[in-house]
Amino acid sequence: MFKLNHTEFIGLLVAMGTMLILARLGSEFARKLRIPVVAGEIIVGVILGPSILGEFSSSVFDFLFPLKSNVGIALDGVTQLSAVLLLFISGMEVQMQMVLRQGKAAVYTSFLGMIVPFFIGWYFAFYFPNLFEMQFTGDEKFLFSLFMGTAMSISALPVIAKILMDTNLFRTKLGMVIIASAMLNDLVGWLIFSLIISLMGTGKSWSVILLDISIIIGYGVFMLTIGKKLIDKSLPWIQKKFSWPGGVLSLSLGVCFFSAALTERLGIHAVLGAFIAGIAIGDSVKLNEKAREIIHQFISNIFAPLFFVSIGLKINFIENFNLYITLIVLVIAYSGKLIGASLGAKLGGFSNKESLAVGFGLNARGAMEIILGTLALEAGLINEVIFVALVIMALITSITSGSALKWLANPREKVV
Amino acid sequence: MDISKLKKRPSYPFETIAVAFAFSPRLENLLYEAKHYADTFKSNLLLIHAGEKDLKKEETFDTLFNQIGFNKVKTKVIWMNGDPTETILDLCKLNIVDLLILGALEKENLYKYYVGSIARNISRRAKCSVLLLTSPSVAPKKIKKVVINGTDNAKTVHTINTSIYFAKAEKIKELTIVQEIDMPTFTMTIAESSTNSEANKIKKDMLEEESQKLHHLIDKCDCPDISINIKTVNGKPGYAISNYAKTKNYDLLVINSPDSQLGFFDRIFTHDTEYILADLPCNLLIVHSRV
Repeated sequence: MFKLNHTEFIGLLVAMGTMLILARLGSEFARKLRIPVVAGEIIVGVILGPSILGEFSSSVFDFLFPLKSNVGIALDGVTQLSAVLLLFISGMEVQMQMVLRQGKAAVYTSFLGMIVPFFIGWYFAFYFPNLFEMQFTGDEKFLFSLFMGTAMSISALPVIAKILMDTNLFRTKLGMVIIASAMLNDLVGWLIFSLIISLMGTGKSWSVILLDISIIIGYGVFMLTIGKKLIDKSLPWIQKKFSWPGGVLSLSLGVCFFSAALTERLGIHAVLGAFIAGIAIGDSVKLNEKAREIIHQFISNIFAPLFFVSIGLKINFIENFNLYITLIVLVIAYSGKLIGASLGAKLGGFSNKESLAVGFGLNARGAMEIILGTLALEAGLINEVIFVALVIMALITSITSGSALKWLANPREKVV
Repeated sequence: MDISKLKKRPSYPFETIAVAFAFSPRLENLLYEAKHYADTFKSNLLLIHAGEKDLKKEETFDTLFNQIGFNKVKTKVIWMNGDPTETILDLCKLNIVDLLILGALEKENLYKYYVGSIARNISRRAKCSVLLLTSPSVAPKKIKKVVINGTDNAKTVHTINTSIYFAKAEKIKELTIVQEIDMPTFTMTIAESSTNSEANKIKKDMLEEESQKLHHLIDKCDCPDISINIKTVNGKPGYAISNYAKTKNYDLLVINSPDSQLGFFDRIFTHDTEYILADLPCNLLIVHSRV
């Protein structure tokens, strides 16, 4: 059995301790600056990683993060697990009924807020791949284009919700439409990403592709209907009979891991299983709010910082920064979301100014974009240069959304 | 069908009450309840029977109607054929019915829930107020405890006023208005980026704001002789109030009619009224304000 030796085990503990403490300091600093905490965590990773610490003192970097030894493998396992758990808690906040409740405004906004950026992202990546300085063989160009479309269309629910709270727009009609649309964007975005992952590997016939699509949709439908009913039935019993909060924590994370394992086995991606399990559990009215809070606290404050700091440890952000590509990614990201989501909101009955506010609200890509980019990088869909551009785009869109919303929207027309 | 007379028609008084019934073990009970409400609100009463008309049935009904003692001047019997849901809905529109009374099981089995029972399908689509009685009785039980959903919606003021009208007729002295507080994504948002005091402050501010809105709404209502209690419950809209009504043993839950026509997807991704219809906590009055 593979085992870390004494020194490696100490190395792993030191690495994780350093990551957690410095990530906390970074996120507190970000909080003071009123920017998304993920920005603080990423910056800590960049400082600790090969971009800065590795460049100026490689011996300290190697001591703190002996990534070339087995510690690297162990840390990789932790970050993969973190990605699964992050998608699980993101899924827990997706409520399809929110979309139904907000009616046509949410449907138009979400639909156009996905289709337009997806098309623009796909179009530029497919027809002008030189813009991204990418070289392709076989189906790679098509998959890269699909990914860029997905990357441009996704939104980040946690960042958006925080921005809406800070701008006092959370419980307005406008805020609820933005939240509902972001939920639908996330769901569809992760489904498409999973499809792209399942399509990877050359020579898949259309029948296999159709089978992949059927599996993804079928699994989603199963979990959100029968799976959800089973969870609804078992949760009250578990919360009553099992120890608290141990019972519900074990059940939730157990379902998450089984679901992730199943989708990974089906050739999709573990994160989709976790995301869908999150929706099925989080959507249950029987889930105790305190239990939801504990799960969120546990994952957001332990696994999320480990994940985001680890990104900076793996990639040299300075070496892979390309201003030209970053600007192109930014222009595509802003234009796609602002045009699509604003148009959708306008069709949904909002004024011009409010529609633009919806566009800016949904433009925040935050942590979701970074997770998506990380998984795409690991899968070989994109290179480090595109990844760095996506991370910068995710941070800039998240930071600018709040100011734009404050400027454009008034906290009026409140709703329940 | 000309339904222009229905538009802007106030949700009360209940000038015309209809009761839809079929041959069932609860038929007699339901008719006694209908008589009780028709007498209480001094309404015209339409007895709508879903089924073929034949001599034997007619005789049985005549005996039953005489035994119950309906006011013959103000009561009319309508026999109907065809799809029960569609026909009842059409008859209600045609006869400008203000309140439709239906018997309903507290809980349907899974198949019936998704396909939709007649009573629940009518509740989702009716253009008049609907009273679903879970335990109709030959000696109608006096309704004492009434809870109203105080959701922030243009219809709510009509729903509260209709409840007050109902309460006055039934001599109820006290009504409870429940405000459901649902904050999607709140837990996730505060988990990573707020201190405990910040989170509490955000929560407190939101609750205060919601409470002010409800008080503002109640100020618009006409409730001089009735005491109004206000409660706040956390949870998903529909489920939270349903659970509250059940655990506190209310006799009647009053809610707004759905904002849009509810369909199959609304049962798959259950929300609002569908939570209540899935498991009726007590008798349910769905007020159609026609605004």
